[in-house]
Amino acid sequence: MNLPDQLSRLKSLWTRTPEQTKRLSLLLVIFVALFLPLRSLLIPADFGEIGHYRASALEENAEQHIHYAGQTICFDCHDDIVHTRNQGYHRGLSCEMCHGPAAAHAEDPGMSQLRVPRDRGYCPLCHEYLASRPTGFPQIVSASHNPLKPCITCHNPHDPVPPETPRDCEACHAAIARTKAISHHVYIPCARCHETPEEHRVNPRMFRPSKPMNRDFCGECHYTDAAGSEVTQRVERDTHGARYVCWQCHYPHLPEAK
Amino acid sequence: MEDVINHLEPLLRKIQGYIYPNEIELHWGILIVIYPYVTGLVAGAFILASLVKVFDVKELQPTYRMSLLTALAFLLVAPLPLLAHLGHPEKSFEIFLTPNKQSAMAMFGFVYAWYLMAVLLLEIWFDYRRDVIVWAQNERGPRRWFHRLFSLFSSDLSDRALKFDRKSVQTVTIIGIPSAFLLHGYVGFIFGSVKANPWWSSVLMPIVFLFSAIVSGIALVMLIYMLVTPMRRKEMDMRCLDKLASFLFYAMIVDFSLEILDFIHRIYESEESIGILAELASGKLFVSLVVIQLLIGMILPLGAIAVVKLFGVPAELRRLLYFVSALLVQVGIFSTRYNVVVGGQLFSKSLRGLTSYKMTIVGVEGLLMSIALLLLPFVILYILFNLLPPWTGTGRGLMTPPEGSQK
Repeated sequence: MNLPDQLSRLKSLWTRTPEQTKRLSLLLVIFVALFLPLRSLLIPADFGEIGHYRASALEENAEQHIHYAGQTICFDCHDDIVHTRNQGYHRGLSCEMCHGPAAAHAEDPGMSQLRVPRDRGYCPLCHEYLASRPTGFPQIVSASHNPLKPCITCHNPHDPVPPETPRDCEACHAAIARTKAISHHVYIPCARCHETPEEHRVNPRMFRPSKPMNRDFCGECHYTDAAGSEVTQRVERDTHGARYVCWQCHYPHLPEAK
Repeated sequence: MEDVINHLEPLLRKIQGYIYPNEIELHWGILIVIYPYVTGLVAGAFILASLVKVFDVKELQPTYRMSLLTALAFLLVAPLPLLAHLGHPEKSFEIFLTPNKQSAMAMFGFVYAWYLMAVLLLEIWFDYRRDVIVWAQNERGPRRWFHRLFSLFSSDLSDRALKFDRKSVQTVTIIGIPSAFLLHGYVGFIFGSVKANPWWSSVLMPIVFLFSAIVSGIALVMLIYMLVTPMRRKEMDMRCLDKLASFLFYAMIVDFSLEILDFIHRIYESEESIGILAELASGKLFVSLVVIQLLIGMILPLGAIAVVKLFGVPAELRRLLYFVSALLVQVGIFSTRYNVVVGGQLFSKSLRGLTSYKMTIVGVEGLLMSIALLLLPFVILYILFNLLPPWTGTGRGLMTPPEGSQK
């Protein structure tokens, strides 16, 4: 078939095509002709090279300033602390969890000091009571757990040990127990000075423990003629303190206090 | 921080049982309720229109073009709640530039575009082409230019061209029915495929969505027809209304049966979630699920239309009953969407507690925004009715019924 014939066939096909089809096709052609270049213009050149995102996004992320040093570098200078931590319950924690980003400090320890959280607000981020924390995870209610005291007063954050559950008198009289623990009276059991009825445990205000009501009670250890250790402080029975009971001047739970 | 606490504090008081900390606040709010509601109206209105063309239900002719324009007005608004919810609407077109085949939500953009461009606009164009050419010949000014542009400067009014229009409308409608099913079935599919959520995860979800869409679409067109006709000082076509009510009734029966089937299936299956779901349905969702969705939105309108069908009710009372029923159906279907979207987020993944939904008044996710989004389709519809009058015999006094739409 020669060219004029082909052209006339095409012309007749164009004439037979409904007007609607022509116009809608034209619209479609314009849309595609606009969309395709616009699409290639708008899509970043490296889109889809690796996944459904710009490949250069990885480089942009990699170029970001590094703040964290990683915990292995801490070991170079603080091996003793890292060793302690590795033996304790915090062995799973990275140093920077508590001390913050350490890249600058690792670069130049003199120029950049790390954060040391000493206030009460930090530890409860993990240890405040929350029903959804795993069973057995150490949790406290910070409002009633030794309020006003920083956590590090009692707990070593590099080697936290589970607190000993208070028993007997200490359960309620924790402050006295802690005071006595650092006094010379540390080995004297509470019941030696306080006769405590069994009901006191159930109804403490109705059934109160006794207190030593005469000077001779303390004198059993502290009079000059008393038996016992030589290092125990001694006093003269007749001249020391005259009419007063001992605990009116001396605090028995921390007698060395002035 | 204080703002966050002030926001969460009233929610914390309403928590029942045990929930995980990240479940206090719902991620999908009222905007995501509006989205399936509006999409459902689109699909329903289109399926109603297709009854005229494909199934040749002549009585519904007066609502044919009205249904198409209603579907278009609501379809234009359908993505807006999503854009408002997601933020950065200026980036939304990017899902078309770099289609992500792994994401059901991203691919929905193409379903939407297909339905808008290849189905709805095409059908409206073919159906209106003849009238628009005639209107443009007798008009002046911007209106004339709009109509000329709308017809793509077409001018062929020959019998051959009109016959081609009619055949094209028929073809597009036939393609349109599965497309409408796809459009709303897809919304149900997205919810139904969230397998971690026992309230959503159900294979029945796309089908229930679809039939509730048909119910809501028919009821909406019925409402619009009953409002617009008296405003135009015209007599309502009672045959058309009766037929609309019949289709509404049948669609509601199927929808009701499917919902009951889903309900019975869940109870009989009694998976581990049944306890918390029962607590949800009888507690936090009792009013919106049992009272509004089931009683007010389903049983009352079903009963009202059944009364009309069983007893000879005078035309005026019939109109009133139809109007009230269609209105109640809208309330019921909106409540259905609320119960699905919000209800599915009220219970904890622990299956041991319930949280609460608190809607704000102002803000992007607030009540005022929702009302604006629900009113916007009616504004668009008003403009469309003005530019492309769907009723024959009016429209600057020039219209004669197009042959295609009389068939």
